[in-house]
Amino acid sequence: MISLSLDSSPSPSPSPTVSISSEDHDRPPSPMANAPSSFASSLSPPGLSTFHADLATSPITGGFASQMHLSPPSFTSPMRTQSVGSKYLRRQSSSVDEDAVHDALSPTHVSPAQLYSTESGRLFHAGKICIVLVGLPARGKTHLAVSLTRYLRWLGVKTHAFHLGDYRRVHIAPGTDVPDDYFLVNASPSTVILRQRVMAACKADVYRFFEEDRGQVAIYDAVNPTSAGRRVLVKEFSQRGIQTLFIESICDKPEIIEANVRSVKISSPDYIGWDEKEAIKHYLRRISDKIPHYETLDEPEFSYIKLYNAGERILLNNSRMGYLPNRIVFYLMNLHIKAGCVYFARAGKSTEQMPRYKSDPRLSDEGRTYARILTDTLLEHRRSEHTARGTHGDNSPERELIVWTSTRRRTIETSTEFEKRGFSCRQRPQLSQMHPGSCDGLSGKELEKQFPEEVELHKKDPYRHRFPRAESYHDLAVRLEPVILEMERIPNDILIIAHVSVLRVLYGYLMACSPFDIPALDFERNEIVEIIPSAYNNKVKRIKIYGVEESQTL
Amino acid sequence: MGGYSFQAENVQICVIMVGLPARGKSLIAQKIVRYLTWLSIRAKCFNVGNYRRLETAHPTAEFFDVNNSEGERLRKMAAESAIRDMFRWFDHEQGVVGILDATNTTKSRRNWILELCRKRNVEPMFIESWCDDEDLIMQNIMDVKTTSPDYIGQDPERAALDFRNRIRNYEKVYETISERDLTYVKLINVGSQVIINRIQSYLESRIVYYLMNLHIKPRCIWLSRHGESAFNLTGKIGGDSDLSARGREYARQLPQLVKMSVGDRPLTVWTSTLKRTQQTAKYLPYRQLTWKALDELDAGQCDGLTYEEIESRYPDDFAARDENKYEYRYPGGESYRDVVVRLEPIIMELERQENIMIVTHQAVLRCIYAYFMNVSQDQSPWMEVPLHTLIKLEPKAYGTEVIRIKADIPAVSTYREKGQSAKIKK
Repeated sequence: MISLSLDSSPSPSPSPTVSISSEDHDRPPSPMANAPSSFASSLSPPGLSTFHADLATSPITGGFASQMHLSPPSFTSPMRTQSVGSKYLRRQSSSVDEDAVHDALSPTHVSPAQLYSTESGRLFHAGKICIVLVGLPARGKTHLAVSLTRYLRWLGVKTHAFHLGDYRRVHIAPGTDVPDDYFLVNASPSTVILRQRVMAACKADVYRFFEEDRGQVAIYDAVNPTSAGRRVLVKEFSQRGIQTLFIESICDKPEIIEANVRSVKISSPDYIGWDEKEAIKHYLRRISDKIPHYETLDEPEFSYIKLYNAGERILLNNSRMGYLPNRIVFYLMNLHIKAGCVYFARAGKSTEQMPRYKSDPRLSDEGRTYARILTDTLLEHRRSEHTARGTHGDNSPERELIVWTSTRRRTIETSTEFEKRGFSCRQRPQLSQMHPGSCDGLSGKELEKQFPEEVELHKKDPYRHRFPRAESYHDLAVRLEPVILEMERIPNDILIIAHVSVLRVLYGYLMACSPFDIPALDFERNEIVEIIPSAYNNKVKRIKIYGVEESQTL
Repeated sequence: MGGYSFQAENVQICVIMVGLPARGKSLIAQKIVRYLTWLSIRAKCFNVGNYRRLETAHPTAEFFDVNNSEGERLRKMAAESAIRDMFRWFDHEQGVVGILDATNTTKSRRNWILELCRKRNVEPMFIESWCDDEDLIMQNIMDVKTTSPDYIGQDPERAALDFRNRIRNYEKVYETISERDLTYVKLINVGSQVIINRIQSYLESRIVYYLMNLHIKPRCIWLSRHGESAFNLTGKIGGDSDLSARGREYARQLPQLVKMSVGDRPLTVWTSTLKRTQQTAKYLPYRQLTWKALDELDAGQCDGLTYEEIESRYPDDFAARDENKYEYRYPGGESYRDVVVRLEPIIMELERQENIMIVTHQAVLRCIYAYFMNVSQDQSPWMEVPLHTLIKLEPKAYGTEVIRIKADIPAVSTYREKGQSAKIKK
């Protein structure tokens, strides 16, 4: 009996602190990279103890077994590596400088842009949905899974991505390759058993996510190359009351595939010292050897989305499933394999000590000096980054920089140096600061005197609380959605010069921060915050601006 | 703001409808205009047929034969007039999304429009409605075309036949969109398949998203406020009070009222999370869903006060609200604009659904009604929506039909005119 649904994709473990990600599914998990992260405790339930025994006795895997019981490597915060099924669901005190998109969500989690919540915890009465990704390796599936998770969570949909590759890596000894027949239809019995184990572990977590954690959308990230295998999945999910939506990522432009391979291959120790083009060819050949039969989505009765060339073309079939699939397509229309960085900077000091919303003050002399220093610092940073990339063999051209500011004068004036040097600057009214309402121009002390109750309420829920006639961070988040989607769609590097409140919300989206953290995020004037997107994690860098003393926030 | 203001972006989009007659193009075009307007984006539809009718009021099918050179000339002229008006609207009336509603079934015609747009720096976006479902097409023909101005006074059977011939003439030269470098959306059999190609901007994606949620199955939407509540009796706004005795009477009579209007059709009832709507809907024998988005406009600090109290405590606010009721936000609360933003998913879901009855509150009802009936922003917050009245909306091809069904149960009026505090009429 051959189970055809046991296919996996070579996706890396979504450990947030791993800066080296591997796409190569043949590469054994190196000690540095994939400590069985989020799914570690899926090994602890009693049902799998026999499996432990197998591993422990095998001479090859002895080291692996012991590795699994070791406390995770020091750079991984131990609390974060809990599976969805474990009892440790609360997001622990990880730094806001780490992308939290892979963290498990608590059952009572409320999202930054959530419009409302329902009792079932499932929004829009859409029920339980499993998004099944389909596509060959190097088609951007994992990036898709991660981005979708980020966006859906932002909206308040309880989402989690399950990468089959992680489960496979846990079940295969380090130092050994995936069996050659792993993806073949008529594989050997031992391979079939291995595949079944891997799938079972993954599905167990998926069901746990739906049933115990009130999850709404699970994203199942695997190759899923055969129609028969997909049918089996649909049937199994449907028996559990889970609807299935397929998303297939198709690339018919070789340059996109190559770019994917290149960006992820760089980190694989397997290809150290190889000529880049040779490495790409080699990798692609391995894929076609390992997965000879791939059937594109064609089942008319399924609900599916076909994504061509990272969003250039989208085909949607039979989606009468509710609000969510359409919302997903909406997001996909705006998502691209984003390569550009986002820089956050504040406007310079204005002529008012406490700039009032109504007066919209201009930059002071100090502010104008700041604007010049800011421009020089950023451009110098970009130059040196570009050179550094060159020495590592990456000769891709520098991405064009565009500047976005709000319509407030001090932000526009801060950008004039960039404009003078020929950079395109655009003003966006949505980037205006949070409306201060009746608190306009009030210092902290004055605020306490005039609105003591409001200040108390604000301390209790800084994200959602509105001062009289003012906006809350939540309002800002909803207001900023178009900006967020447009950030996703633009391939350039973007510098956003805006007020602290706006920077906090945008940073919160990119780094999947919780509503508790967003109002407290720090943006000093003597720093440019750089967010570097990568397929699996966004990373933060802080670029020091010299010659500017620290300002007070607010 | 709801984030939908595009003024600073200077985006101008020309939506070009494509498709054989009776494919729902005009319906789609008008819905897009209505939706964008509700979101405060300036949109307008330019129907080439209307321009053609100025010259040729009652054409027969032969007029539309490609080999009829006089017909061709007149039709091209009509298209030129429509396009000219559209560009004028872009230039002088701050238009953002202009929709050219015509068949545009040949590549050459589309290229011609494309060139014109490019010269004017207007982004072209094609929407093709493709349908091969005979029943759908026939239904569309019967519903719409026989009541079209082209066929006034004619026998409907003959009109339908003539119209069928007209379509056949178009079919002879129809070229579906296949140019991969164009920005287009192809809706196949009313959304059972959708092809989206090269979307260029957020606004375009927003339009496509809306389109994906539409369907053309005939259905009705019933709107009602909750029954009279205890707060209504004392003139207080907001709160989460129970129904009054008369409100409870309304709840008891509602099932019968609804049954007479709905008949045997399946129905789902949506209420807010506040008690008074749930109590109102409690006897209705249909599936019920609660939506927080249907909760009343949050009056913030003024929650629980009467209009007189608001006027005395916050006189500036009271005046400011009258000044611009749509934009005014209660201290610590919401504005009508905020309500529209949070209602958008409801509207989207309403478009997807069939028969729905919504039991909600005054401000929310006004916003929903404004969407379906294309009521402007300065009018919608002042609309009268009395208690104990069932409003039936029937979206039809070129507009929505409204019927108000009053329950015979008196209630206070919560309507407040500009400049006045509400007076309680018993």
